Amino acid sequence: MRTYWITWSVLLAFTVVMLWADAASLPRTAFVVFMVAAMLTKASIIGANFMHLKAERVPLITTVVVGLLVTGAILYVLIAPDAVRIHEMVSRYGPR
Amino acid sequence: MADTHMDTVERLAGGSYPFVAGWRKVMMWWFIVTDGLLFAGFLAAYGYARLLAFHWPAQSDVFSLKYIAAMTFVLITSSATMASAVQEAKDGKPRGALKFVVLTAVGGLVFLGMQAYEWTHLIAEGASLTNNPWGDASFGSYFFLVTGFHGTHVLTGVIILLTTAARLAKGVTKAEGVEMAGLYWHFVDLVWVFIFTLFYLV
Repeated sequence: MRTYWITWSVLLAFTVVMLWADAASLPRTAFVVFMVAAMLTKASIIGANFMHLKAERVPLITTVVVGLLVTGAILYVLIAPDAVRIHEMVSRYGPR
Repeated sequence: MADTHMDTVERLAGGSYPFVAGWRKVMMWWFIVTDGLLFAGFLAAYGYARLLAFHWPAQSDVFSLKYIAAMTFVLITSSATMASAVQEAKDGKPRGALKFVVLTAVGGLVFLGMQAYEWTHLIAEGASLTNNPWGDASFGSYFFLVTGFHGTHVLTGVIILLTTAARLAKGVTKAEGVEMAGLYWHFVDLVWVFIFTLFYLV
């Protein structure tokens, strides 16, 4: 049970650091990269320790992680360029 | 060396039971993956709309980050109590498990109360599904849609936890039942990590 409360304190520490980063005036790109990295780390910690994914067999871990990552990649990596292009068009020609 | 390789092959192949987990756990993981993809879709759409918007409001103008941090604290703590409940149940201590499940449900109710207060405050300031006093109207749509959908999951989780607590008290629910409730609850916490970062911070 001690592991869970250590995990809890690590998650809280991450949250505090993220709030600190939000208050600090970091460059936008560095800020976003840091936040996304911290978010994914927190999610991995919850999945591995609280949801016991690290204790499961490789096929189950692979199915869950790959299933989420591949679809996530389709949603974010493949669609993102279109979203950025639209953003540039909005910036150039004005709002809808 | 050859044995180690064959062990690995066997472990990955899995034989008749590739996951070495009961059907309840496997189905719960399937549900979590599909529900996770639903949230991923919502958040991707939110990101798209945000790039499309001309005047997306600054979070500091809309939210009290200290308040949202407190909500996050409540949810993370409830996840730790839920993990403790699962451990107690696995150790054959139903009374300890019951105590932690009830604590988790209380955490969920506190979170819902805080979210209701946040919504009430924003609605009083003029935010709605179709309106947003701080900038682009789609902010209100996505905020209420995403946090509302998550809140519905929290509410469902509280109902599951209270049912699990009642069944634990009667001695009906075994350790696996507590573990399934735990998986769902941790998923709710996990989704909040994404919402907290993408909606309130970035």
